[in-house]
Amino acid sequence: MSSDTQVATELVGRSPGQLMWRRFRRDRVGVVSGCVVLFFFAVGILAPVISWLYGKDPQTRYGQIEPGLLNEFGYPVKPNGGIDGEFWFGLEPFLGRDVLTQLVYGIRTSLLIALAVTVLATLTAILLGITAGYLGGKADFLISRFIDLLMAFPNQLFFVAFLPIVTTLFVDPREETPTYVRVVSIIVVLWVLGWMTLGRILRGATMALREREFVEAAKVSGASPWRIIRKELLPNVVSPMLVQATYMLPNFVTTAAALSFLGVGLVEPTPDWGRMFAIGAEVYRADLTYMFFPGVAMVVFVVAFNLLGDSVRDAFDPKTNR
Amino acid sequence: MLRFLLRRSLGAIVILLIISAVTFFLFYAIPRNPALLACGKTCTPDQLAIVEANLGIDKPVPVQYWEYMVGIFTGRDYPIGHCPAPCLGYSFTDNRPVLETILDRLPTTLSLAVGGAVVFLVVGLAMGMLAAWRRGTLLDKSLSSASLVLGSMQIYFLGPLALALLVHNNQVFSQPKYEPISEDPMAWFGGLLLPWLVLATIFTANYTRMARATLIEQLREDHVRTARAKGMSRSTVFFRYAWRGSLIPIVTIFGIDLGSLFGGAMITEFTFNLPGLGRLAVDSVTKSNLPMLMGVMLFAATMIVLFNILVDACYALIDPRVRLA
Amino acid sequence: MSERPQRRARLAGAAVALTGALLLSACSSGGGGGPEGEGSNGGGTEGAETLEAVTFADAEASTGPAEEVPDATPGGTVHVLQETSPSHLDPGQIYSAAESNIAKLMQRGLTAVRMDNDGEYSVVGDLATDSGTPSDDGRTWTYTLKEDIHFSDGSPITSADVRHSVERTFAPFLTYGPTFLQQWLANSGGAEYRELLPEGPYEGDHLPDSVLETPDERTVVFHFEEPQADLPYALAMVGYALVPEDGDTREAYDQEPLASGPYVIEEFRPDRSMTLVRNEHWDPATDPARNAYPDRYEITFGHTTDDSTQRLMADNGDDRYALTFNNGVDPGNAPEVSSNAEYQERLAQGYQPFVATMAINAERVTDLKVRQAIAYALPLNGVLNAYGGAFGGEYAGGLISPLLPGYEEGYDPYGKLANPQGDAERARELLEEADAVGYELNYVHHTATEDARAAVAVEDALEEAGFVVNRSEVPQTSYYDTIGIVDNGYDIYRSNWGHDWLSSATVIPPQFDGRQIQDGANNYSHVDDERINSEIDRIRQITDPAEAATEWFELNKYIVEDVLTQVPLYYYKMNVLHGSLIGGADFNDDLGTVDMHRIYVIQDEG
Repeated sequence: MSSDTQVATELVGRSPGQLMWRRFRRDRVGVVSGCVVLFFFAVGILAPVISWLYGKDPQTRYGQIEPGLLNEFGYPVKPNGGIDGEFWFGLEPFLGRDVLTQLVYGIRTSLLIALAVTVLATLTAILLGITAGYLGGKADFLISRFIDLLMAFPNQLFFVAFLPIVTTLFVDPREETPTYVRVVSIIVVLWVLGWMTLGRILRGATMALREREFVEAAKVSGASPWRIIRKELLPNVVSPMLVQATYMLPNFVTTAAALSFLGVGLVEPTPDWGRMFAIGAEVYRADLTYMFFPGVAMVVFVVAFNLLGDSVRDAFDPKTNR
Repeated sequence: MLRFLLRRSLGAIVILLIISAVTFFLFYAIPRNPALLACGKTCTPDQLAIVEANLGIDKPVPVQYWEYMVGIFTGRDYPIGHCPAPCLGYSFTDNRPVLETILDRLPTTLSLAVGGAVVFLVVGLAMGMLAAWRRGTLLDKSLSSASLVLGSMQIYFLGPLALALLVHNNQVFSQPKYEPISEDPMAWFGGLLLPWLVLATIFTANYTRMARATLIEQLREDHVRTARAKGMSRSTVFFRYAWRGSLIPIVTIFGIDLGSLFGGAMITEFTFNLPGLGRLAVDSVTKSNLPMLMGVMLFAATMIVLFNILVDACYALIDPRVRLA
Repeated sequence: MSERPQRRARLAGAAVALTGALLLSACSSGGGGGPEGEGSNGGGTEGAETLEAVTFADAEASTGPAEEVPDATPGGTVHVLQETSPSHLDPGQIYSAAESNIAKLMQRGLTAVRMDNDGEYSVVGDLATDSGTPSDDGRTWTYTLKEDIHFSDGSPITSADVRHSVERTFAPFLTYGPTFLQQWLANSGGAEYRELLPEGPYEGDHLPDSVLETPDERTVVFHFEEPQADLPYALAMVGYALVPEDGDTREAYDQEPLASGPYVIEEFRPDRSMTLVRNEHWDPATDPARNAYPDRYEITFGHTTDDSTQRLMADNGDDRYALTFNNGVDPGNAPEVSSNAEYQERLAQGYQPFVATMAINAERVTDLKVRQAIAYALPLNGVLNAYGGAFGGEYAGGLISPLLPGYEEGYDPYGKLANPQGDAERARELLEEADAVGYELNYVHHTATEDARAAVAVEDALEEAGFVVNRSEVPQTSYYDTIGIVDNGYDIYRSNWGHDWLSSATVIPPQFDGRQIQDGANNYSHVDDERINSEIDRIRQITDPAEAATEWFELNKYIVEDVLTQVPLYYYKMNVLHGSLIGGADFNDDLGTVDMHRIYVIQDEG
């Protein structure tokens, strides 16, 4: 794929990045999904501002403090999950918190975790994938077997089983576990099993590139391996990397949410997207509305990211078919 | 072929050994004493020691690991009785052999996985082929969009939603449950239908997209073009040649998916309250039932490794060009 | 009375914490629980009055067969949907409600508690001819075995089996069962009773005649150093059901026990199912407590409360013949169940014995004003919402369950019933008076969803009132071990207590006797108050049960108002559904759930 971009560069004199950007801008679906993705990030970053403008916060137990909002079973008295002019997305059953701010802050937490895992996993994949691909031989063998090993771990089971353990490694179970420790534990666990696919792709790409003339040329001219990796290899694996990262991020969001759903993720009172599904599954018979906003938001988010990933891929590599 | 299988099996055993070691050491390194839980309310230090011995956790961790691994191959004697090979130890919570419980839960997980896989493979491939066949038409576009949206659904959202709308509000399906197929095939089918569909929905989308993409690619391959040029009809080419080539990526993914499903579809089992391996694992985590968790982990990993080998072996059958070196 | 009914309390807590809704499952009824009491009238407190009439039955009332349930017909299969399968089948290992509810179908002891058609309760002689004959001021109790009683292998039940059953409870491998009888016989507290017979009967040692006498095949005499007026109650526990001397396989008995009651196990697949069929050697003519109408029980396990509730609501196929002993209606379905008359008809409601409290560590929080501020600040609705709202319980003003004799309705010294959301202002005033604004509280709870949810409200409300809360959590399984340590380092923690039988003597002394503070004991608030201690000793000497009950309640008032080391939160309730073809599903206050001895299958018409 790099040959096309190089040829193009010679002819028109634009950088591959510029080319990619031009192609991407022409892709309407890509632009729209890109905007949606940006919107989610904006919501995450601006959560405190949204909460301030809207006049509610995610911690206050409105329904428990003000009589008349929750019924004797702890469900919103008003229909449709208690949606009204006061609480736009309704009230959380039992604790009576505001759903809108819970969701906004939950998205913030989830994106933070997913972004951190994506960055870590990408860096790991670059480091190990390119090392394996470029050095070959023993290093390649070891890294490839390591990848095989990690691939053989049952993912979900691994997450569910090891998350509590990782947490206890950081903190004595008798101490209060700070929220950041939980967040870090989740990031670590997801990261450990999150980088292999990209690692393999990068290894393959690097192996192919290694045999190419321009890399040979660089070698002959006496460039250090580090320089070759940095100057010749890395720029050429940017596109698979970006594409894969775009696919990875929503995956981490949904996996982290699944952990909360199973009851091993973040705990109260940290707002969390995934826990909203656990509550939703618990209360759907009496309050189906509650599940609606977090659910639809998650579907939109994942769809947008997948479309964006496709668009990014097409923009980098116009040959692929949609 | 034989050499290939031998070599891969050897590799698989090494991988499983490492996984078991990592899991074992991490589990048993946690600072919590399961014996206290198992000992009961009037537990004296003497009794605690007995319970610890019963659980086999009174020795250093490496020794425990060694005994555990030896037990898998030769069986093992516990103070509460002999545990024949392959022995995965005794559960902390109910003093039953771990293997017995796993085998007891296995049919549920297998039923869920196989039924779900049949649905998503058949539906996914059919829709993918249809989309590729009618490429560019409205049908193709709607199939592609539908698969995109459905594939972005999560079981923890779709499952409760389906339960709410199809079981609770309109009794289209009955409350999902697991009934052994040997006892009542109809109840088995009826109880699992909704879980299958929900599980399959998420997978189907992937298979549709994959089948479509690979088929379209295949249609551009030289041998397919040649066949067309020689005057074969489009459908003959499509159904006789093109789909074969698209099998390889699909078999790969299918093998991987099936392997991981056999280890327990945790979220589906959790959502629909099915007593399979996934539920067992989650329960074991909350009860710190380490031997059980260890057993499920090993079993699930074995499934994954096994299916990887099977997938590679299948390549050779599908495509004679692939050599198993 | 140094007994430690800790396990029951602990299991209740554990159950509650595990699956939020499971908690809902241990309740008992306020609704009088009589045959007419099922369904719509649940929740009232009139049950308390009924219960004051519990009697120790004489030989006549202890003669089988059991009084017929109106309209009941024998035959059919009953399906039972349960969450947890029994970990133990050996009666000597059974204490928790979920295990004993099933075991009661198979095991008999010297006595049993029976609810009759009028909803009256009595302790009857079960294998014994009556509820026991006390002498020497209750220091000696004599029991005579009935004739024609057999184990399920056909062997006759004799006094040797009673002796064996009592002696084996001292054996080191029996650690889960109740310990009342052993402690009374050894006249010691804690686990010291084991020194009386360290190996049980298995090494040839036996209890001396001065403790347990079996002069002939049918006579058993217990000798205690102190009067033990509650012995008939204690002997009704499944933990003291009979195990044959000859068929006892020690540890292995836990897998394949014999039965003495109406049913035997045909097949048991742990965590999955259990099938009970009739025990041919059970003679209804000897059994005043069990009607045993169904021919067969198909019990399945692994049902979450929402699963079982959903199925019982739908009432399809076999589920029409189904009920549950311990799976209460889950919070997700509670609103619908309570608002729909169709479900109301199939609902049995009542109280469980448990009272939820917030314990305050008296050794750390020494200022009464600060403790009162905590009491005012605590949001009862926040805690109860997490535990199922109106179906989970009812706000509590005191420490004594509405089920117990002596209970005074409406007792509420801190105005919590009117103000369940807490009174932050009043709390802050008290804190200011005590010059303790910003007082730091170490609060520990466990990790189950419900408790975590309750903790959010508790922390929030306390901070609102001016406390600084350091919240930490421990796994549910080790929660009671954690707070049971005297030097636990925590200031507040939730603790549940349930009476073991209908007497406040199983509530106040174990929790509030200051001389009982030790690791693992049940005085979770570590209160050591002169007046409480002396009152406990005084009230124990009172022989009139009604007077004692009133005095216990007065002591409860003193504790709540002047000592306040446990803030009452709520009385646990239980709501269980049953299928439309199940009859006789009456709530039993003593069991805290449907009375399994009275149920029958409504035969299809035509």
